[in-house]
Amino acid sequence: MMGAQPFETIVGAHHAEIFRYLRRVTSRASEAEDLSQETFLRAYRAYRTLGPDANVRAWLFAIATNLSRNHFRSEKRRRVAHQAVSTARREADPEGPEDEAVFSEARTLVEATVRGLPLKQRLAFIMRKIHDLEYEAIGRSLDCSAESARAHVFQALRKIRLSLNGHELPPVARDTGGVERRESPPSPHVPSPHVPSPHLPPPTGRRGAGTPPSVTSPTNMEQP
Amino acid sequence: MIKRKPQVCLEIESDLVAAATGDAEPGAARRVEHHIGACAACRVEFGRYREIDGVVGALRRAPAAADSVARAREGLEARLADLRSRLVSYRVFPSPLGHILIARSEHGVSLVEYLDERADLGASRLSRIAGVETQEDGAEIEALYRELLEYLRGDRVRLEWPLDLRLARSDFHRAVLQATAAIPYGAVTSYAGIATHVGNRSAVRAVAQALRWNPLPIVVPCHRVIGSSGSLTGYAGDKLPLKQQLLGVEGVPILRARRDFHVARDTMYVRDHDEVEYCLPTCGSLASRTLANLTLFASRERAESAGLAPCTACRPDLHPLSA
Repeated sequence: MMGAQPFETIVGAHHAEIFRYLRRVTSRASEAEDLSQETFLRAYRAYRTLGPDANVRAWLFAIATNLSRNHFRSEKRRRVAHQAVSTARREADPEGPEDEAVFSEARTLVEATVRGLPLKQRLAFIMRKIHDLEYEAIGRSLDCSAESARAHVFQALRKIRLSLNGHELPPVARDTGGVERRESPPSPHVPSPHVPSPHLPPPTGRRGAGTPPSVTSPTNMEQP
Repeated sequence: MIKRKPQVCLEIESDLVAAATGDAEPGAARRVEHHIGACAACRVEFGRYREIDGVVGALRRAPAAADSVARAREGLEARLADLRSRLVSYRVFPSPLGHILIARSEHGVSLVEYLDERADLGASRLSRIAGVETQEDGAEIEALYRELLEYLRGDRVRLEWPLDLRLARSDFHRAVLQATAAIPYGAVTSYAGIATHVGNRSAVRAVAQALRWNPLPIVVPCHRVIGSSGSLTGYAGDKLPLKQQLLGVEGVPILRARRDFHVARDTMYVRDHDEVEYCLPTCGSLASRTLANLTLFASRERAESAGLAPCTACRPDLHPLSA
């Protein structure tokens, strides 16, 4: 008579990811803590009404996104969040020593740019690029169409691209460490700049139609 | 001087970004492939976005500080436990007895309430209990409601619901409710009988008060508790007709005498104290006693469903009361 699965299972399966999502969206750990708790308290009140085949993960992201948007709605808070960008700490770098410096500089820049993005772009970017959500789900979270969600991500990437103008980036074609470095490369056969390959990757990359998501990604447990 | 990008490059830009970051539809990917084969500038852009995708991939894999996840989880568990203890879901339904609110907590059904005119939460006790968080709910309570309707139609003799007695006002009230819950279907006993049962023979008024505030009428069958004289006495404040109706469903014979309702005790079988037998109402001195320590049954079936055997002296099995 309860929902399809006990609520403990939902917490166990999704809490860490939702917290990480909110940690990226907010500027302070305490905010992420509050918002993630609020997300699951809301979910608890409503989960019994979920259908048996509901996408619980996408639903939790929608709640978390909604709460974040309310949280940031006040202009004042947003300014505080932006100020925090300049003092954002670096996280431990998981990369090997060779590219560490380049990678960590690039990462810091990307992170700073992401934190400075308009809220919808930031949320859409994080949901898509960090958590691999479908555009449909992102659209539902942001009260917009899947196309608009896609456009938000595009704008975010464009801004990141601009902010990295003149910065050296780690090359992608280091195939030796390819598996560890890029567990889900956008394309197995990158067209070389000089000799364009006859095929761009079929359905291009990890999210293309029919292409299974990468096995090692922690975010590919999405339910159908 | 800023060189403007050719129109064709501008148009394909979003597809190019998507393709370079592993996010393009097949058709778009083919268009991009075709375009960067011919356009050196976009080829460079494509490479640049590939690099960015690599950096973003590193961000994806960056572990979040495990201790902060654990701390957030701990805080969540504490708040969830608090919410669970306070959250009550409810719904209001029409019934043959008027509008009824049914509410349940995580532990069980905590409130069944007759609503008078206003069939909404505002008319309910629930809205006035401090610390309770209410939530209108659907399917789960609907199932309880269906059972309740069966009961009110006489198609069900038991509501085997998990109960949450936290809305009872004291331990004494809870004890009274538990004693009342043990009265079998189709039987009546007296306030004095319940008082004796909870170990305080003189607490008849207190028992009546406890039942007046019974948070679970029907489920905890306080309608089966009557005065020692056989009078129905009162029910849920001013709802005596509902008591008569509920007893009627169970087959308990009721007589109307002027303004009062009485059970027709000379047509009911009797159990004395905690005896394991049931008797005819005329057995021994039963007819001259008050109901203080007696339980009356509407029929032999009811008495026997309660586990009683026919009395070997008056033999209600051989001389049943005429219906």
